[in-house]
Amino acid sequence: MRQSVFKRLVAPRMSLFEKYFVALFAAVVLPLLIAGGSEAWLSYRDRRAGLNSLLDAEARAAASKIQDFMEGIRDQLGWTIQLPWSEEPDDKRKLDAFFLLRQVPAVFSITLLDGSGKERLFVSRIGLNRTESGEDYSASPAVQRAREERVWFGGVTFQRGSEPFMTIAVSGNRAAAGVAVAEVNLKFIWDVISAIKVGRTGTAFVLDRPGRLIAHPDISLVLRADDDATKPLQDLRTAILTRPGEAVAGRDVAGSMVLAAMAPIPGVGWSVVVQQPVAEAFGPIYAALWRTVGLLVIGTMFAAALAYWLTQRMVRPIHVLEDGVSRIGAGQFDHRIEIATGDEFERLAGRFNEMASELALSQERSERIGRLKRFLAPQVAELIDRRGDEHMLDGRRVEAVVVFCDLRGFTAFSTRTEPEAVIHLLGEYYDALERAATKHGGTLTNFTGDGAMVLVNAPVACPDPALSAAEIARDMQTNVQALLVGQRSRTHRLGFGVGLAMGPATVGRIGSEGRLDYTAIGSVVNLAARLCASAADGEILVDDNAARAIGARLPLTALEAQVFKGFDQPVLVFAVKLATTDADGLSLGLSPQPGAGQT
Amino acid sequence: MRFVSSSLIYAGSHATRRDFVMLVGGAALSAVPAYAQRPQMPVIGYLGSETPDRYASRLAAFRNGLAEAGYFEGRNIAIEYRWAEGQYRRLPALAKELADRQVTVIVAPGGAEVALAAKAASSVIPIVFEMGGDPIIVGLVTSLSRPGGNLTGVSSLSVEVSRKRLEFMGEMFPSTKLFAFAVNPTSPTAETQLKNLQVAAGSLGLELLVLKASTEAELETLFTTAAQERAGGLVFSSDPYFAYRSPQLAVLAAQHRVAAITQSRDFPLAGGLMSYGGDFEQSHRHTGLYAGRILKGERPADLPVQRVTKVELCINLKAAKALGISFPPALLTSADLVIE
Repeated sequence: MRQSVFKRLVAPRMSLFEKYFVALFAAVVLPLLIAGGSEAWLSYRDRRAGLNSLLDAEARAAASKIQDFMEGIRDQLGWTIQLPWSEEPDDKRKLDAFFLLRQVPAVFSITLLDGSGKERLFVSRIGLNRTESGEDYSASPAVQRAREERVWFGGVTFQRGSEPFMTIAVSGNRAAAGVAVAEVNLKFIWDVISAIKVGRTGTAFVLDRPGRLIAHPDISLVLRADDDATKPLQDLRTAILTRPGEAVAGRDVAGSMVLAAMAPIPGVGWSVVVQQPVAEAFGPIYAALWRTVGLLVIGTMFAAALAYWLTQRMVRPIHVLEDGVSRIGAGQFDHRIEIATGDEFERLAGRFNEMASELALSQERSERIGRLKRFLAPQVAELIDRRGDEHMLDGRRVEAVVVFCDLRGFTAFSTRTEPEAVIHLLGEYYDALERAATKHGGTLTNFTGDGAMVLVNAPVACPDPALSAAEIARDMQTNVQALLVGQRSRTHRLGFGVGLAMGPATVGRIGSEGRLDYTAIGSVVNLAARLCASAADGEILVDDNAARAIGARLPLTALEAQVFKGFDQPVLVFAVKLATTDADGLSLGLSPQPGAGQT
Repeated sequence: MRFVSSSLIYAGSHATRRDFVMLVGGAALSAVPAYAQRPQMPVIGYLGSETPDRYASRLAAFRNGLAEAGYFEGRNIAIEYRWAEGQYRRLPALAKELADRQVTVIVAPGGAEVALAAKAASSVIPIVFEMGGDPIIVGLVTSLSRPGGNLTGVSSLSVEVSRKRLEFMGEMFPSTKLFAFAVNPTSPTAETQLKNLQVAAGSLGLELLVLKASTEAELETLFTTAAQERAGGLVFSSDPYFAYRSPQLAVLAAQHRVAAITQSRDFPLAGGLMSYGGDFEQSHRHTGLYAGRILKGERPADLPVQRVTKVELCINLKAAKALGISFPPALLTSADLVIE
């Protein structure tokens, strides 16, 4: 039993929590999710567009830096070929060349050719310098192209398979000024390229036309001159070329995802690629996403906490209600459910309390009715109960009519008949008496064996007690005689007589705690008992007082005055004439015969 | 001398700070579970041909390179030093010691001798060398871009530019034909340098007086002989033995009033006339960077040998004045560092 109560308590609590949680979760988290998601998506789009232009700008800036580097060398070379050559060795130009080497560390060696393409001066950092060697370079591509285009950038060669070098040739304004040809160590672009920072950790690198790595912040990658190792960088460039004007996601040499854009370096035909780790490029979006996730977690926890709190708030009064209802249900009507939540629960508890008190009231009433019914007519008992006045049962003197009745020959019958049949007959007999008494407002005060006593005008007042009593007696006779018809055909003969008397009597409750009776005391009781005893089967004897009260309203027959034990004077006795046509049973020799009762 | 003493002070202060760091690090180690940190710091085996004093400026550059890679001695890296103290014969044994000690990486700076000793000691432990010559010619690696094996490193152009030193001397003394050339016969690059110089002398129209020195006692003889033979100047070959003794050479040059040129800028800084050679600060810094990259897990075979292409000319005007000579405009224009 306790377990089932426990089950009833636990199961709904869980489901209530779940319902609240789902509702609150939906209320708190869904808007967050929608807001966060749409914000992330929108900012991704903005960011992507921003990155396209940002990386494009970075690439252009990087390209122009490297172009500046190359043009710086070109300009420096231009200074050495300002004037036409004379036939004599030119010490001034030699100093210019030394100065150039000191100024431009990337230049490894410089060759100055005169207007006819003959070598006039060679200055190197490592090799021995030469002056006026007169060697003819006019047929070399560097000289020819430089003469055509003023400036010529040669292809990149990897010296000793490692260091990228390039030849730059510049021709003077006039053909007579000659041509300056310089060997440039491209390793020095590292200074430029490593200084380029895209965002926080983004970098740049340079590929030449065939896709060889010329400059990279990790110089050793360049020095390896390994096309396989730099394959991802070439792939990145290829990917960018297929989608111009857009930053492209790809992998760098380390294999991590980067966003890259490219810009060409005019003149040399190289391209510079700037790259930024995707994680950094989309960092703000990731941050926003994480913020949303964080908010979602907080929201979920908040929803759970709120749901838990609300559930607890709900469950406590429900528990109190449940406990109270089960107590009341078990009959503890004085139990009151104490809930002071100020909401519907409190109202519900009030209703339950009202119900309990009403239940208590109705139980008390039904108990009392049950108690009174034992000796009062049910209508009377209910009347008393309705009035709520038990004082009408208190002891007093009233002008009462007492009706006695009993069966004739019942003792002999009961000894010869099966107990079940006896009890059954008695049951029907009592029922018949009770019906008659109740019908006319009498009070059946007690049964004793085959006899019974009915009081009229006590405890319930009756306007015409004598007539009512006579009618009760008549109905009793009718009912009981009808009952006895079946029995009379047998060997034993049962009869029924009634006597009633009217006069002052003391009435009231008597009895102890366990046993309570309502009864009447007085000579009128004795008289009624004597009249009953002297009544013959089917006879109703009435005393003088009652007969006078009835008057002519019932046909009465005056009999001879009789002397009863306990009464000094002979008592006038009347018999109620019973209508023989009413019941078949009474017509069978039951017609009241004057004096018949005396036999 | 000034240089040496200041470096000593620096080393001293560094030691105290390191002690403090180790003390704190020790406390932290005892407080955190053992697995939170590698039980032992990686160890660099540093093989030096000379003494810590002579290496001081190189060591500082090396530590700078390490720091660039994120390693700080005593904090997250330990360095085990072995010093040959000028006796290059001891190098192989010292290299072996480091190899036996199972250091994480061997750093062999300061010349071909050191690199070769390290290479002989281990073919497994990564080795980072630093030298002035061509690592292919001396047989350290087969390719600059893909060194292969367990070696990589940094080379400067010092050896290749020996002939330029002769050229500068020729510019200094245009009327002189005879110049003395000092070589260390024990050096692996001595022969190639001598050959180069002789070719250069031929094309410049000069004569060479070849002088040999491989011990400290022989150093003075170089100057006395050069002075006796009335050589226009003394040109030193690129050799670490000479380079590490720059202050000593500067003193001898002043004593014997000999115009001399060496590979190391330490020489004019100490009062010598001039120097032309690779920038050792760069080459040692790159050595530290490479050591750091190897400590981080890169394979030496993947790291190309780097050539420090910067070659610097340093001249000392005071030394020239003391010798009663002056630098021609070509040299003054070319000089990267002029000491007045």
